[in-house]
Amino acid sequence: MIHAVLIFNTSGVPRLAKFYTPLQQSVQNLAQKIFSLVSSRPVTLCNFLDAPELESFLNQKDADGEKLRVVYRNYATLYFVFVVDAAESELGILDLIQVFVESLDRAFENVCELDLVFHFDEVHHILSEIIQGGIVLETNVEEIDHAVQTAAKARKESFASANPLSLGGGGVGSRGTGLQTPLGWLTGRLTGVGIR
Amino acid sequence: MWERTLQDLIRGLRANKQDEAKFVAQAIDEIRNEIKSKDMELKAGAVMKLTYLDMLGYDMTWASFHVVEVMSSSKMHLKSVGYLGAVQSFNEETDVLMLTTNLLKKDFTSRPDDVAVSLNGFSHIVTFDLARDLAPDVIKLLSHSRPQIRKRAVAALYKVFTKYPEVIGSAMSRIRERLEDPDAGVVAATVNVLCELARHNPTEYLPLAPQLFHLLTTSTNNWMLIKIVKLFGHLTPHEPRLVKKLQPQITELISTTPAISLLYECVRTCITGGVLQGSSGNTLARTCVSKLATFLEDEDQNLKYIALMAMVRIVPSHPHLVADYQDMILSSVDDQDISIRMRALDLVSAMANISNLQAIVQQLLSHLVKNETGLLPSAIQSLSQHTVPQSPTSKRSATSPSQNPAYRLILSQRILSLCSDNTYENVDDFEWYLSVLVDLTYVASVDIGSQIRDQLVDVTVRVRGARRFAVSLMVKLLCDDTFLSNAGEPGSCSEVLWAAAWICGEYCGELAEPQKLLNYLLQPQVLTLEPETIAVYLQAALKIFGVWTAELAEQWDNDDLPKAKGMVDTIVERLGEFASNPDIEVQERAASMLQLFTFMRADLNSFRPKANYAGYDDLGSTSFQDTSQEPSFPKSLFLIQPLSSTYELNTVASNAQEMVPVPEGLDLEAWIVSPPRDEPTGVFEEADGDEIEPVVKKKVKKGKRKETGEVKVKSNKKKRAHVPTYEDDTLHAEAEEIIETEEERATRERMKAERLERQKDDPFYLTDDRSSRKPAQPDIDSIPIVRLDDLPSLSQAVDSHLPTLRSANVGSSRQVFVIDKVGEMPEGATAQLSKAQIARETSPSIRNGAATTSSTHTPSPSPFPPYEVEDEPSRTGTPPPIKVTRAKKKTKPSGTGKKKRTATVETPSATLDS
Repeated sequence: MIHAVLIFNTSGVPRLAKFYTPLQQSVQNLAQKIFSLVSSRPVTLCNFLDAPELESFLNQKDADGEKLRVVYRNYATLYFVFVVDAAESELGILDLIQVFVESLDRAFENVCELDLVFHFDEVHHILSEIIQGGIVLETNVEEIDHAVQTAAKARKESFASANPLSLGGGGVGSRGTGLQTPLGWLTGRLTGVGIR
Repeated sequence: MWERTLQDLIRGLRANKQDEAKFVAQAIDEIRNEIKSKDMELKAGAVMKLTYLDMLGYDMTWASFHVVEVMSSSKMHLKSVGYLGAVQSFNEETDVLMLTTNLLKKDFTSRPDDVAVSLNGFSHIVTFDLARDLAPDVIKLLSHSRPQIRKRAVAALYKVFTKYPEVIGSAMSRIRERLEDPDAGVVAATVNVLCELARHNPTEYLPLAPQLFHLLTTSTNNWMLIKIVKLFGHLTPHEPRLVKKLQPQITELISTTPAISLLYECVRTCITGGVLQGSSGNTLARTCVSKLATFLEDEDQNLKYIALMAMVRIVPSHPHLVADYQDMILSSVDDQDISIRMRALDLVSAMANISNLQAIVQQLLSHLVKNETGLLPSAIQSLSQHTVPQSPTSKRSATSPSQNPAYRLILSQRILSLCSDNTYENVDDFEWYLSVLVDLTYVASVDIGSQIRDQLVDVTVRVRGARRFAVSLMVKLLCDDTFLSNAGEPGSCSEVLWAAAWICGEYCGELAEPQKLLNYLLQPQVLTLEPETIAVYLQAALKIFGVWTAELAEQWDNDDLPKAKGMVDTIVERLGEFASNPDIEVQERAASMLQLFTFMRADLNSFRPKANYAGYDDLGSTSFQDTSQEPSFPKSLFLIQPLSSTYELNTVASNAQEMVPVPEGLDLEAWIVSPPRDEPTGVFEEADGDEIEPVVKKKVKKGKRKETGEVKVKSNKKKRAHVPTYEDDTLHAEAEEIIETEEERATRERMKAERLERQKDDPFYLTDDRSSRKPAQPDIDSIPIVRLDDLPSLSQAVDSHLPTLRSANVGSSRQVFVIDKVGEMPEGATAQLSKAQIARETSPSIRNGAATTSSTHTPSPSPFPPYEVEDEPSRTGTPPPIKVTRAKKKTKPSGTGKKKRTATVETPSATLDS
């Protein structure tokens, strides 16, 4: 079972924190600890974090008495970290991280860190198509992408029906001018309430 | 009207990096207003912002009710915000969860999109109540028309099972149907769930094997195949026939699959599932190990890591196969990746046996040693490491993991556990092991001293043949001034000095010139050590001195007198410093030693050497029975030795405690006095067994005592007004109390009287023996009152410093009283001994010191036979050179002095005499 999914950037700022089982530690503590360990590892090392410092943090053991493992992967400025137990295959989780990133990439077209910053809700929705309650739902990128699109469309329609005056996916209007992102970056994707 | 949107909030956060706290505080204030709004869009926006802030570490639990409000919105885009907020912030204790039951029930029957969102949210927030109430609804969704929903329902059902397992039985057939679902995704999710379930209760899922096997042969989805193979790994140990069926299939997968993750999983299942047993299994095992060995050599560190992990599992059944790659594995311990090192360490530990242990431990030790040379640069590196979070570009690359303190600690612990496993099963040379322990002390530079200490003591006590060597090593350690002066630093392992002092003291018979060590044990520098170590130093010094004087006396020469005098003088002088140590244990030991040595000094000074004449050759250890025959040497030379060396200290079997028979007629369960029910707090049990006093009252008393005498009298008078019955006695006691402040016994009696009065007043206190108490009252008059003017300087100093603490004296006097009582009753003493045994058996380290102390003091209470050296019970025959004494095999506990004295009843110690 997957116990947590974390994304943070190379400065340790969290971009996503999802816990499927309650941990004794506070989220921030754990993320900071993992970040400090992960960020000091050169890229040539393996993707499994097996640090003695971590054991007190992850002292929670599963039924077989096996420790939780930390599997991580680094993409550009982001670290994707999965905390899993013995029921998951380590290499399988590495593949799953890849699947997650590919799904993000499909949803955001050339995903970058800013996408995750400003659409953290969307990232959660995408993740929820892959993992539900710590159980892997789907590993096929096509399927995931399809489900993500469907759900996004449903939210968009709901938003449109509730705000008949707003145009398209969500008019950022005059208040969107401060965005330091390429034009068109927001259009067609923003479906949340954030945009009014 | 210009509410901040989530985007505004994020932008604001990015713009206000310097003053984030203030900005967030302001934002949360706004959110607090918005979240109460009637406008659902606005409310949802606020929840969204909160959810974002929650990720950054700001609390959002206060808003959980509003989250539920948003969840209940009928609009999809708002509902999903609500569920997201719930998923991120709710936990088992969230009280509003009970409001969600009907909401979820409704959402489960709503549009497919709503169902998907609510199922996802449900699997996060599910509690026992929710699981119980909603299980039927989730089961219904298993046959939803959309595969999306079926998939989610299966996954959600797993969460229901974890919270409410009773439902598994009725739902299993429905889950099973999903294995034949037309949608591959649903099947994969079902396999996932089954895999999780089967881990905890494999036998229940054996009937699924045919279906799963069919999937194994037909599916091409690697992710699912991994899970199925894993699942079989859980099932095969419970169904041996599966092994035969699986073997060809798995062998084929291993040889054909291009996916390494699947290959690894097959290997792992072979290992955990017991597929490798039998002759055909052996060839498979060989294939597995050789596959893994290729991983070990692979460029990809991930594969190396995986291979090491798999090998750890294969070692127990096929150690010879793994042993072929020992060199490769040992070199992995040197890998610069700490993850790989940790796995290699596990593997190496699993591989250790009696023949390769020394090589392995030496290799591990060399890791610790190497860093000693690179200590200086590592300090700089560790400094620069601290700056890493600020400048992530400057990644540390040169720092070897072996400089990492946590790793060093693990490594040191591993060395110790490697050697001590199964009572030193793999160690054949204990002198080597003792040297390893001492080496480790010097090179570890992590906080492992207490574990080394325990090992040293344990080995020395258990292995008779290694004692001499141990003592020689420990003497070196004790004489190492640098080690002593570094003792205060972290990672210095100064606890080892505890063991060193204890071993040298306990086995000082091995020392050729014990008196030389005394200088080291009592040097002023010792005072910088931990108090418990100092205490052991003192005890060791006493033991060593005892042995030395006894030897001196046996070959007495009148020229030795100045030598003995000089030594006693030095010790008395040194002990003065120890006696003023702030630690009570050290102080007490030093003070009692001081008394012993002052006595010896007096004896030595009054000793008039007689003309030396022959005839004392027969001076055994028991030559002082005849007091009329004056020995030619000062008698006090034999004062100390019997205190500590009368009985040998043995390891205690773990079940020794159970072997102590309960004396006839002793009911350990019976209450001495049944406890009053109405007492509000914990109670004390008095030794004489008929009074019980609440703690609170004692504290009040203490507070009063701290005030001036005037107040005391006043308060007492007040009491007197309440209770006129014992007026005279009470007054009397008060007067005594005020005048004779030093008289502890009087105080105690007075306390009793007061307490009795209070209890008499107390309607809740059941006094059944008041009549028996009454005659005791007048006794206060007859108590002889002695003013102790010339108390030892020590206690005076304490008194003058803290004059108000006298009521604490009362407490202590009470405890002394307890001990006295116990001394009178043999049964009680046996119980006392058993306690000491437990202590020694659970931790041979610290308690040992205490235990020896108690045994040291036992012979002393009666002043009459101090010079009598009891006949040593004949010890077990001469020991073989090096031999592990396993505690298990010994059915007898150690016979200490106390035990022998009191154990006229049949106790296991009787075997010691035979």
